[in-house]
Amino acid sequence: MAENNQKINIVLAGQGNAGKSAVFNYLTGLHQHIGNWAGKTIEKREGTLFYKDHTVDVLDLPGIYSLTTYSEEEQISREYIINQQPDFVINIIDSTNLERNLIFTLQLLELGSPLILALNMVDLAKKKGVEVNVGKFQEKLGVPVISTVASRGLGMTRLMDKVIELNGVGKNNHMVPEYGKEIEGCIAELSGLLRNSEYRYPVRWIAIKLLEKDQEITKLIEKNQPEIIERSAQLTEYLEDIHGHDSSIVIADERIHLVAHIIRETVKFTPRAILSFNEKLDSLTTHKFTGYLLMTVILGGMFLSVFVLGNWISDWLDGVFSSWHSWWESAVGTTFASLLGWSAIESVLALIQIALPYILPFYIILYILEDWGYISRISFLMDNLMHKMGIHGKGCISFVIGFGCNVPGCLSCRIMESKRERFITAVLVTLVPCSAVSVIIFGLVGKYVGLLWAFGLYVFAMVVIFIAGRLSTKVVGGEPVELIMPMPDYKTPHMRTILVQTWDALKEFIYIAAPIVIVSGVVIQAINLAGWMPAISSVLSPITVNWLGLPAITGILLIFGILRKELILVMLAAFLGTANFGEVLTAQQMLTLSVVSMFYIPCVATISVLWNEYGWKRAMAVCVLEILFAIILGGIVSRLLNFVF
Amino acid sequence: MNSDRGEMSLIEVEDGQTGIIVSVVGGKNLTKRLADLGLVSGTEIKVIRKALFSGPLQVEVSGSRLVLGRGLASKIMVLSNGRK
Repeated sequence: MAENNQKINIVLAGQGNAGKSAVFNYLTGLHQHIGNWAGKTIEKREGTLFYKDHTVDVLDLPGIYSLTTYSEEEQISREYIINQQPDFVINIIDSTNLERNLIFTLQLLELGSPLILALNMVDLAKKKGVEVNVGKFQEKLGVPVISTVASRGLGMTRLMDKVIELNGVGKNNHMVPEYGKEIEGCIAELSGLLRNSEYRYPVRWIAIKLLEKDQEITKLIEKNQPEIIERSAQLTEYLEDIHGHDSSIVIADERIHLVAHIIRETVKFTPRAILSFNEKLDSLTTHKFTGYLLMTVILGGMFLSVFVLGNWISDWLDGVFSSWHSWWESAVGTTFASLLGWSAIESVLALIQIALPYILPFYIILYILEDWGYISRISFLMDNLMHKMGIHGKGCISFVIGFGCNVPGCLSCRIMESKRERFITAVLVTLVPCSAVSVIIFGLVGKYVGLLWAFGLYVFAMVVIFIAGRLSTKVVGGEPVELIMPMPDYKTPHMRTILVQTWDALKEFIYIAAPIVIVSGVVIQAINLAGWMPAISSVLSPITVNWLGLPAITGILLIFGILRKELILVMLAAFLGTANFGEVLTAQQMLTLSVVSMFYIPCVATISVLWNEYGWKRAMAVCVLEILFAIILGGIVSRLLNFVF
Repeated sequence: MNSDRGEMSLIEVEDGQTGIIVSVVGGKNLTKRLADLGLVSGTEIKVIRKALFSGPLQVEVSGSRLVLGRGLASKIMVLSNGRK
């Protein structure tokens, strides 16, 4: 039946933490393409698998908990399944959380999509004393069920064999979730009314959605058949009268009962009396005291190791690249064009010098912590503090990443649920001192003023971020979304998944940042070579010299610093003709310069992410605001320091 | 609500104790979102721990663990049935 090289489209659907990424990475390996859903700041992950003469296109839907339109992710997933009609929807289920996961499965069944269930993490479930009778389970749901352990690749071939076996055979004979009598009565009546109309959606599904008072569907039907809406309003009222609460809850309730029934018949529970290792670890890492202590140790250890290792690699790369520079000058000469050419190359090298020593190790450690299950604990511990800044616990993760590099920090804001949260978090992340800013802080203040002052600057940055968070909540408005997050069990991190994720993140960083970094590098160098820099620095001198009390050349440095913040320090040495800054700058000047460098603008790579995710207007607004803020703040700090030094 | 029946908000339940969800005092969206996670009236819910500084709650519902923001948890009314 199967022709040679047939195409099959599958989508992976499931709740967060069910192991969707592990399945996706296992199936597609490095044949992945990560982008955004059109017009949305939501990640779209696609990939291809070549298997037994078939080309299987795999789309990884966002992790969601339901198919309502509560969030953009849910809406996207629902629209995609309905409009694109994939050949198969693979529902990845976390076997350790069957109940919650199956509620979602029922919604997929309602949608009538050709479903295959992957009962994932069966090994962990067994450890917890949960054993599923796969045969019975399959019979109950009427869809193929495969047990898998995606992190170790178990069951993946059987899953794909099933896809190929069923391809072209037609829809499988899946169960239609049946609910209580009075609800079925209402569904039947609405289905009857809808029978002769033509919608893209299955009739029964529309009926259920109408009873749930789904906004999108109600709007759609109202436009075409307002009389049906009238009837469905009566029916929902009738249901609400019987049950005493909202009709959408009545139906959710029914799903939960049906799931409980399925589980009773197909799953064997063996209660474990002893506190498992997992639970002990969980209580230690979320404890009121040890939790915070361990978090400090783990995050501190992470930063320290990334900085030590990163500085070491970065220094080494510096040596290599500067030898390339002298080679370039001797081979190509020092004409205008050659200098411009070198600045383009230098921009690329600069990117490598950020990506390789800092971002790469940072991502690896971060993904290890995430895969292990620790990141959710951080969100739990930090939720309250984050709430004061108008976002919730998950935002803390973006901050942690931001300390390494603002670019992935801003990108990671996608994990926040709403647009409002995403934007506030991204703006706050741009204020977090990244590793390049740390180079300035330690190279200037740490070395010549004192380590305590350097740490003081970090504390100062946190205070500024906190205040900015409070203010942005006022400016942007709206209520913070409350944290609802599954707490995953700890599990052994899976290296393959981690490496693939790291690679994707790194690739994305380079794709987004490279063009704008190269272009702006060349432009700034051209201005420099044209000899306009002295003019610019004298134009800026009322700000730099009079207001901030800095040498006039800092104007040029701050312009170059937009490319890479550590250039401020590197070029300072070049312009002043000495790397012993203690001789040429006062402590007051060093502190002021550090404060201005910290906040004055996101670097171009970060600006390009803001642009990409939130549009150029918002990106520019953030830049202008931060420039003004840093200049005002720098001047005040400089004056205050008069009293100290 | 009716406190003499032993009804209280989830944040008043002590760590390690369980309760039966009676109602969710909140908008439709919130109630629906909780229902999708299995939190409907009649469900048993266990408070595992609460984070410091009136932070979120870690709870267990039918074998799965969730973290709920404090404000949200305060809208879930339960009938406490003590340590289990």
